[in-house]
Amino acid sequence: MNMHAFSRKGLVMLGASVLLAGALTGCGAGAATSGSGSASGASSQAEPVELQVFAANSLEKALPEVQKLYTEQTGVTFTDTQFKASGDLVEQMRAGAPVDVLITASKGTMDDAAAGELVDESTRLDMFNNDLVVARAEGSDIKIESLADVANVDGKIAIGDAITVPAGKYANQALHSVGLYTGAEGDDGEYAPEFAGRVALADKVGTAAKYVSTGDAAIGFVYSSDIFRYEGIEQAFVCPDDSHKPIVYPGAVSASSKHAKAAQDFLDFCMNNAEAQKIWATYGFELAE
Amino acid sequence: MRCARPYPQMMLLRVRAYALALLAVLVCCAASACFATAAPACAWGDEAGESAAAPGEVAALDTSYVPDNVEFLSEGAARFEGVPFGISAFERIAKGTQRAGEGMPAGYRIPIQADANFAVVRTPEQALVYVDQGAAGLKDSGLTSTPEHASAFWSMVLTLDEAGSMSGPTLTEEAPKPLLCTRSTVVVGPYRYRFDAEDADGNRYVTVTPAALAEHELTPDMIRATGLDLGDGARWVDSGIVVPATGLAGPASQSALDQALSFVASIDMRPLWVSLKTGVVALAISFVLGLLAAWRVMGTSSRLKGVLDSVFTIPMVLPPTVCGFLLLMLFGNSTAMGRWLVEHGIEVVFTWQAAVIAAVVVSFPLVYRTALGAFEGLDASMLDAARTLGWSEWRIFRFITLPLAWPSIAAGTVLAFARAMGEFGCTLFFAGNYAGITQTIPIAIYFEWMGGNTDVALFWVVVVIAFSFLVVLGINSYTARQQAYRTGAPARARRGGAARKRDAAPSARPLDEIDAMGGDAVRIDQRALAELLAESGADGNGGA
Repeated sequence: MNMHAFSRKGLVMLGASVLLAGALTGCGAGAATSGSGSASGASSQAEPVELQVFAANSLEKALPEVQKLYTEQTGVTFTDTQFKASGDLVEQMRAGAPVDVLITASKGTMDDAAAGELVDESTRLDMFNNDLVVARAEGSDIKIESLADVANVDGKIAIGDAITVPAGKYANQALHSVGLYTGAEGDDGEYAPEFAGRVALADKVGTAAKYVSTGDAAIGFVYSSDIFRYEGIEQAFVCPDDSHKPIVYPGAVSASSKHAKAAQDFLDFCMNNAEAQKIWATYGFELAE
Repeated sequence: MRCARPYPQMMLLRVRAYALALLAVLVCCAASACFATAAPACAWGDEAGESAAAPGEVAALDTSYVPDNVEFLSEGAARFEGVPFGISAFERIAKGTQRAGEGMPAGYRIPIQADANFAVVRTPEQALVYVDQGAAGLKDSGLTSTPEHASAFWSMVLTLDEAGSMSGPTLTEEAPKPLLCTRSTVVVGPYRYRFDAEDADGNRYVTVTPAALAEHELTPDMIRATGLDLGDGARWVDSGIVVPATGLAGPASQSALDQALSFVASIDMRPLWVSLKTGVVALAISFVLGLLAAWRVMGTSSRLKGVLDSVFTIPMVLPPTVCGFLLLMLFGNSTAMGRWLVEHGIEVVFTWQAAVIAAVVVSFPLVYRTALGAFEGLDASMLDAARTLGWSEWRIFRFITLPLAWPSIAAGTVLAFARAMGEFGCTLFFAGNYAGITQTIPIAIYFEWMGGNTDVALFWVVVVIAFSFLVVLGINSYTARQQAYRTGAPARARRGGAARKRDAAPSARPLDEIDAMGGDAVRIDQRALAELLAESGADGNGGA
């Protein structure tokens, strides 16, 4: 084979790849343009509404099912819903991310969002109640009869990072009640010295659950709903309600939402639709009163 | 309050078809409502004997758990060997709500399906079993009349409960005493359970209310005043439909292939397309830029070269998160530069373009480094010889440098593609995790695993391994074929083949090959070069 043929072939390949790249970029750009077009033109009724929901990480399994139900019933669709630690979601909103609905896992994080005028305070409502539990790996023989027993567990203890993870804050409040954490608020103290070395901080409550299910941590502080969300973990102990602040998930329509009405309708659906309630209930979320 | 409607009204819808049953239930309901204020309609301890002594209200269900005879069918359905009935549409609900419902009295309610004809409530102590005796297909089955049937029923419930437990506690492991409720309301301890509550829209619920208070007059404030957490009264609720066994489809005899196919069909394939799209576009950009950069750098003075070389190589050395951070600084809203770009319409953060930029940044150095290395490895006198023939620099690059350096460049390109496809840190930082937009396979693997979907994560891992393997294999065989012309005499090819066979470790082969070919490029024989130049020259002249 002579070199010339090879070169020509190479040139053709190069050209083809550039063309392909161009085509793909074109597609990408085209999609992006049409996407933004639908977003800006959605004020007219005929345009399909697409909602961006920012939701607490613990809703990662239940909310998509409710959204699917809502899409089936109303045609309203959802862009990729973000499930992160509530504190991260609020930060992301502060950074200017477009959001229609925010659901966090604590009053405090929603208060932050309200203080930053990120959400429409008048639309705020309490959506779910949850319980804080100590989870262990399925089949583990760890016994926890009281919160104080947590200190005697052999192995790591997975706790959400209280700065952004509400579950971690509730956990620290519970630990404070037995003297294992110095701050009553849950994010203003230190772990007891003999305990601190065994705490594995997690970036969201799901990560804490994951640490337990993979055996990286012996126990972890998660919500009772997380037990249903993750395979391989089970409830070892339910933290008494008086050991931490009530676990409430507030929801609100974002102040910057272009579809405030549609966002409000979705929140109403979450709270009042019987089928939606069944989904919440299956995943262990109790609708707030 | 809307929740304070008279209660029996709600039941009318449900049991309309069974006039007798309705009458009976109404009587029961009225009775329990009357008794409720004075004394619990039926209170019993843990002893089965005691509860059995309350005829017509509740009776210990005489059961034994025979899991081996339960035939588990798909989708919450089960049969039991030798009994004429089975269970379908089984559901397990973990929580209820105390939220006011349209046409519902205050209290804790757990939704069950509209056509359920049995429900099992896990109370703190027992499991209350309610079977709607009027339900079709049950009349003659003697569901709870014989111990065999009761055991069959209970075994099916336990099996399905465990299957639907989603790692929650199960009836099997807690083995509570099953108590059969023959009325639609029973009182256990401080709680009153109602199995046939229905709201204004016809949705059915199991409700839990304080036994000490009359059901239809309850208000949320009264419940709060009791200090009772009604949610504790029902830890979870199972419900389903008892149907004649003949009506149940056989076990879904899915072959392993079907299962695999349905699993694959259930996976969101968008990460694959996003990865391919990002990888290919990024590679095309890196390839062109990398080659050009290497070509230009090769010709520059040594001092400038050092600087340029460092700048072009540093993304390879930096942690990807640092690249992501810098990109975010460059394009994000938080810096003057970023704001200027955003003002001028360049808004890329958290978009697909950002994923491409991130992939280009990390893959570019690989193309650049390998290309530069190959260019520098060429015999400079060859290029000079071409220059003496009056070739332009571009023509030299195109017809000598590039072809001779091709094996290394191809290897670098494969590495760059792998790097672009595998990019994680920088992409996550700069482009985020948006399914279908910036969620590439590596990001999907991380988030699926973190989200508890280990099987999906595993699927992507396998896809990535298989894909990488195919790409590397393909490029290697392509390069080997393209390079065949340079092996010249057949004797050399045979020698090369023999050398390869001697090589005990096949995994080392690609490296060896690159090395060998890189060496070839340097050792290219003068005769072949002369032929080549003559030929190209002749072509060039002919064209001109």
